[in-house]
Amino acid sequence: MTSLMSLDRVVDVESGRRAEAIRAVPGTLDLFDSHFPRFPVLPGVLILGTLGTLAELLMRDTTRSSWRLGGASGVRYRHFVRPGDLLRLTVELITHDDGTATCSAVAAVEERRVTTVRRLLLDRVAGGAPCAG
Amino acid sequence: MRFHLIDRIDEYEPRRSVRGRTVVSAASPAVVDLGDGPVLPPPLVLEAICQAGTWLIMLSTERRKRAALLQIGGVRFVGDARPGDVVIVDGVVESMNDETAVLSGTARVAGKPVVEATDIMCALIDADDLEAPEDSERMLRQLTGA
Repeated sequence: MTSLMSLDRVVDVESGRRAEAIRAVPGTLDLFDSHFPRFPVLPGVLILGTLGTLAELLMRDTTRSSWRLGGASGVRYRHFVRPGDLLRLTVELITHDDGTATCSAVAAVEERRVTTVRRLLLDRVAGGAPCAG
Repeated sequence: MRFHLIDRIDEYEPRRSVRGRTVVSAASPAVVDLGDGPVLPPPLVLEAICQAGTWLIMLSTERRKRAALLQIGGVRFVGDARPGDVVIVDGVVESMNDETAVLSGTARVAGKPVVEATDIMCALIDADDLEAPEDSERMLRQLTGA
């Protein structure tokens, strides 16, 4: 399902360790009409949500079951993300048990870190059927 | 989509607090099905908290300043907002000066928290740099019913 927090390309997944993906930021996104007309920037919550999407993918690959973003702490926005940027997203698994997982995450444009997340928290989806693969 | 996550400002106290709302509709392009039925994705509910905060900043600075997100100390997504729900957003200013503001906020559906956020730090930047003042003013009048 495509959403405002979808990934454009998964670059690498190391099950149980890390995942890397790309998200493009085209000027054609409708949201730039209102965020903001004189200075379009990608909303920070969407960067957080997209890192969450990648973390969910990593945990699905690691455990063969479904997870969802449960929260975050230590989220820092260091630079604006503008139309034309290409976000390189990386999440690293710190720890997990049957019900919760903790990752760290970084979004970068070229070599510059634009968003860092000290802890990205995921919850296993209760009652969710194991994923096929 | 129009990236306006607050539909109405129900009450506010300049430099202190704001209460707003967003109504969730299946007709909204923001609502998607992530696998367990249509939902307003939790990060967008967080955005509603942030936008309530930025409107409060504007209302507290005679429309001169808006808030740009610098950091989030903590956020928990503890529930879902689904079509038909009314999300009530409460924002509280923890501290504020000419350059930055720190807020906390909670979004609730039917009285139950769905998103809780603490230590949302924002830079206060000139509102005119982001949007034409007349457009911001029109939006504020629409939100507050003034």
